[in-house]
Amino acid sequence: MAKVLIPTPLRQFTAKQDSVTVSGATVGEVLSALTTQFPELRKQIFTDEGKLRSFVNVYLNDEDIRYLGKDATPAADADTLSLVPSIAGGAR
Amino acid sequence: MIRIESAPWAAMVKHAQASYPNECCGAMLGDTDGETKLVRESIALENAFEGAQAARYELRPQDLLAADKAARERKMDLIGIYHSHPDCDAYFSKTDLQNSCPWYSFVVLSIQKGEFHHANSWLPNFDQTEAAKEELSY
Repeated sequence: MAKVLIPTPLRQFTAKQDSVTVSGATVGEVLSALTTQFPELRKQIFTDEGKLRSFVNVYLNDEDIRYLGKDATPAADADTLSLVPSIAGGAR
Repeated sequence: MIRIESAPWAAMVKHAQASYPNECCGAMLGDTDGETKLVRESIALENAFEGAQAARYELRPQDLLAADKAARERKMDLIGIYHSHPDCDAYFSKTDLQNSCPWYSFVVLSIQKGEFHHANSWLPNFDQTEAAKEELSY
């Protein structure tokens, strides 16, 4: 049962919970279980094709899963997942 | 709407002016009540864009993660992101839009000749194709 920290604007889709504990042996399974439990979250995190949205990074504790095993990264009970957006920009 | 308390607002303006002629960026923490947001604290973050920063900024996701943790520890919410536009108006540019996230408010501070000029807040959509102007007070 890994803990997923829910960003403030997404708590409207998780019954106002700021973290949710869900089961899953991998990060992919945890996110799948999370969005099954809270279907409205799916659109926020995944595209219609089921891929993570381009602006969404997933951190397992303090590590970006892209540098671990991506979706197949093992998730243990004591682990915390965070959804962190990619943000950049500029005047021109 | 988004309201920024005087202390975080002063810190944001100071950060933007000190970073001139480059862009600055940071996080805004506070409370949310439905569509109403109150910023009670700002956190200056490093502009991590590799290259000329006069018209570009980039946040490190791990810095944003730390800002979110700080918000949780202080029983606040991560409400939005701010950045500056040196010698440009506070519009939401194509670059801003294409690198945005629909979860947060984006406050843009226009810094003209080193001094604060005006600011706007923007709410980008999912497809990163347009941003609605959000009522802003400070």
